[in-house]
Amino acid sequence: MTKFIVLGLIAVCFLTPAFAQEETANKAKEFVVYVDKNTRDNHYIPSGWVGDYGDIKMNEQSADNPYSGTTCIQFTYSAKKSQGQGWAGVYWQNPANNWGNKKGGFDLTGMTKLTFWARGAKGGEVLQKFVVGGIKGTYPDSASIEMGPVELTDTWKQYTINLAGKDISYINGGFCWVTSADLNPEGATFYLDDIKFEADPTLKPEPKKQKAMPFYVYADRSSINNHFIASGWMGDYGDIKYDGASKEDPYLGDSCIKITYSGNATQGARWAGMFWQNPANNWGNADGGYDLSKATKLTFWARGEKGGERIEEFKVGGIMGEYSDSDSATIGPVILNKEWTQYSIDLKGKDASYIIGGFCWSANADNNPDGANFYLDEIKYE
Amino acid sequence: MALISIWMRLSTNKVKSHHNLRDGSRGKAEVSPFRGHFSDKLRTVPILPLVLPLFLLFLLGAAPKPKTSKVYIQKLKNSRYRLIVNRKPYIVKGVCCNPIPIGQNHEYDWWSDPNKPWLVDGKLMQEMGVNTVRFYQSHENPEETKTVIRDLYALYGIRTILGHWLGFWEYPCPFYGDKAFQERIKKEVLEMVSIYKDEPGILFWTLGNENNYSCLGRINPWSTEEIDKEPDPQKQQAMRAKIYYSFVNELAKEIHKIDPNHPVALGNGELVGLEFARECCPDVDLVACIIYRGRTFGNLFKSLKATFDRPIVITEFGADSYDAYLKKEDQNMQAFFLESQWRQIFENSANNKEGEGNCLGGTMFEWTDEWWKHDESNPESWSVHDTESNWSNGSYYFDIKAEGNKNMNEEWFGIVSLSEELEDAQPAGGQGLNKRLPRKAYYVIREFWKKPVLARDIKKKAKKSK
Repeated sequence: MTKFIVLGLIAVCFLTPAFAQEETANKAKEFVVYVDKNTRDNHYIPSGWVGDYGDIKMNEQSADNPYSGTTCIQFTYSAKKSQGQGWAGVYWQNPANNWGNKKGGFDLTGMTKLTFWARGAKGGEVLQKFVVGGIKGTYPDSASIEMGPVELTDTWKQYTINLAGKDISYINGGFCWVTSADLNPEGATFYLDDIKFEADPTLKPEPKKQKAMPFYVYADRSSINNHFIASGWMGDYGDIKYDGASKEDPYLGDSCIKITYSGNATQGARWAGMFWQNPANNWGNADGGYDLSKATKLTFWARGEKGGERIEEFKVGGIMGEYSDSDSATIGPVILNKEWTQYSIDLKGKDASYIIGGFCWSANADNNPDGANFYLDEIKYE
Repeated sequence: MALISIWMRLSTNKVKSHHNLRDGSRGKAEVSPFRGHFSDKLRTVPILPLVLPLFLLFLLGAAPKPKTSKVYIQKLKNSRYRLIVNRKPYIVKGVCCNPIPIGQNHEYDWWSDPNKPWLVDGKLMQEMGVNTVRFYQSHENPEETKTVIRDLYALYGIRTILGHWLGFWEYPCPFYGDKAFQERIKKEVLEMVSIYKDEPGILFWTLGNENNYSCLGRINPWSTEEIDKEPDPQKQQAMRAKIYYSFVNELAKEIHKIDPNHPVALGNGELVGLEFARECCPDVDLVACIIYRGRTFGNLFKSLKATFDRPIVITEFGADSYDAYLKKEDQNMQAFFLESQWRQIFENSANNKEGEGNCLGGTMFEWTDEWWKHDESNPESWSVHDTESNWSNGSYYFDIKAEGNKNMNEEWFGIVSLSEELEDAQPAGGQGLNKRLPRKAYYVIREFWKKPVLARDIKKKAKKSK
């Protein structure tokens, strides 16, 4: 009998914190990710450095004008592409360095938003996105919610990620920021403070609003108006080089996209292509995209390096998966001119209410035995 | 008198039996002259005055021919369509059928198989609720083709969609721009129609399958001197499409002249190229599309209205039952996709006010597995149920993480699997047929057809449970 009492006491001792943890997340009005260095309230650790992690410097206890308390977090992103990725980011995890390989995280049911304060050192720094959840692995997060891109100001400003209606019953990746060298070619220094989940029962799930036109896929390398990521590389992906900040005679602005397709059939497919997706790498496996119902066409400018490069297809939509594009439209084959030429994909009669694959091209080695180098600019829905 | 009595019993009983076979349709049943079970209840019915003239005809050697079905498309308001068969609405609840046994390939002549696979399959189909089969092309021997069509219809009430490849698989490639080629294909098609048009089991004709892709140059590319002179590849595609769709329209027009009783469908891969059909195909009655979009058909029905306002039968769709990621059979996965696809078909039929109302039904791919498909040039592999996939489709997302994203298993599309065990040997049929083993999809779709549960029903149920 004594044995059972002892076991019972041990169980109570070990289980109580777990119950308390759930209690905190479910009924409290807020649940802190970070408020001040060394505060007990902090529940996540900024341990998950991704992409060009060598480009990131972090000062967790910056006393440089914190929004509240005595410290804030300072990040310096150099954009040097130390690991050759062109982008970088930091995940707040629980426990530290948990990429879904062990159980951790929190049940945040009841929280309806994540809020944080942010400012840039100069103003104009662009963060590609902020994310809650999204870590995969054996113990995957129950949701992935994104917000962005965001152009910071040089004064503190509060930002909100709406979580109403989302399943946040298991969140190991409490918060994350991501940015890229294209968006910040000279790098960026920025500050974050008071990152926390909040319970606001009046907040409703965010409906997908019809986006106003024009709506850009790509405007310029550092434009906050770029809404899709050139992440969906297909076929002989080893044949492709992508430069989203080419200075070689852009059609408009200070940069354009340069695609170098070697036609070497590195993966043996003898074709290659790219999708601009939202969120990045979304092959229909994640809810995302935009309601572009107001669009009647997608236009873009293109030119070949030599002229005569043959692109089999330019495309809008067409990604199919658990979450599928609502429609697709194509033009092609197109033989590019050496001079900038505008092309248009007609969307009249199409259903563009849910577009995760914002733009796509594909070419093949048979029609481009020596490869094809070409440029794209001003890709937008109108 | 005895003859009169027997004929009476036969014909009247046929009415009753066939009525039971139909897919929930009501009203006057058709007379099927093929069934042979007698009904005791009907022996005393005094219908001598009615049948006397027929009997006299019979005595004179002019027995009544099987009644040809009258099939047409009815256009309702707002571009909604219904298929009408003998004055009753008809939803195509069908399967694509190519019952190749284990160890054989596509060249196997199952039409003349003495084991008569269509008898075993027809019975299973009937029990499931299938009312239509799709054959891609008739057999070269018309009598054998007629036997299959007649048996399926007479014994199981199953109608046939009969297709023609339009020379698509001829080597080196189809020459749709060549008049001599066109004439030869036209002759073949019109012969097919002439031979089978009076079969009561015929539902409609399908011209081509995915032949439109040849206009894009993706498969079996063809050209003409004039097209070759055009430097712009987009204009080349448009030129090919106009030639091809005009040719199909010419066939449709000629078919209507000799067969006013059956619609003509344009077989098409996806909706690709239908903007050309809009201008070139006024005589085509419906489109028969091949669609592999996973769980949903997306904007297909609405998009079709905007592109080429014709009703659609989705004549190829479905899902395989092998999880290429987990490397094991997954019948649940196949059943999930198929039920979801059938739900969309029903939601977009004319009966459902909330849908587009232009879908007439579908023929899912396919009835039985085909073990030869993965490595068709290697006869040894025809006896092996290959689990290797050789193409990818992200719409079937359960196993898209398979190596190289290759998740589509060609040999596992059957809603009925085949066993190496043989059974049902016909008296003159040798060793018998591969045993048929219905998969979960067979039962799920059977129940769905009995009582279709649409998305709105699911939503209502979810609300109630809250």
